[in-house]
Amino acid sequence: MGREAGGTETKRAARQKACGCESHSVAAEITALVNTLRELAAIRATAEDAAARILDSAEGLLALADKEEAKKAEDAILSIMTACGFHDLVGQRVTKITQTLDRVIAGRLNDDDTPGPSQAPQSEIALEGPALPADKADQAQIDALFSEKN
Amino acid sequence: MALDPSTPVLVVDDYKTMIRIIRNLLKQLGFANVDEASDGTSALNMMREKDYGLIISDWNMEPMTGYELLREVRADDRLSRTPFIMVTAESKTDNVIAAKKAGVNNYIVKPFNAATLKSKIDAIFGGAP
Repeated sequence: MGREAGGTETKRAARQKACGCESHSVAAEITALVNTLRELAAIRATAEDAAARILDSAEGLLALADKEEAKKAEDAILSIMTACGFHDLVGQRVTKITQTLDRVIAGRLNDDDTPGPSQAPQSEIALEGPALPADKADQAQIDALFSEKN
Repeated sequence: MALDPSTPVLVVDDYKTMIRIIRNLLKQLGFANVDEASDGTSALNMMREKDYGLIISDWNMEPMTGYELLREVRADDRLSRTPFIMVTAESKTDNVIAAKKAGVNNYIVKPFNAATLKSKIDAIFGGAP
């Protein structure tokens, strides 16, 4: 452990020496991380606004799509609406990144490379949020799991 | 037996967008009596004030998660039989099994489409109204 800490210090010193910014490198890193958090907050707000405006339009179209011929339009509109769920998934991913950055910043402020414990409330079951595409179980797999007897 | 379209349905999610999506899908399926809550605690309070025929809940919410809400509902004599569908981004096998053991009636993984929601409601009630 001491060896790891020593190695980290050496690497940090080497990085600082290389960039010639010994005195303000940590402050610069924190500033960059805080700016990143602001960008993530902006992404979340943009996604929410976009989803709301798309839903406004889709709801307006749905109100018009009441003729027999409009069944296909209705299906398309419902598809648009469900696609707006991207806002939820984007938001959850951004939250995960934000929480990680918060921990990194807290560690930096303490001049400690080790991220601290999560500040998120502890749940009985560990939640992971949206899985990455390669790791994600699809609905068919969930259904199969769900239909198994105990 | 199909669910009576006038039966109140409670949608629980901390994302207004998702509540709005589910509300619209339910409306297209014939359910117009839809209430909403943004977390498990609010939902539980609403359930103790009003009888709901179906709960559709997200999992990852604060301060009370959808899983905790499910456990509370199943432990409450008056609420324990209320059909409960989990709609969540949590697709980890362990979590699906935990929800199943806790008594969830069906489980939808986000993102989902209208047909999936309909099929899960149909599976519980034997057909939309």
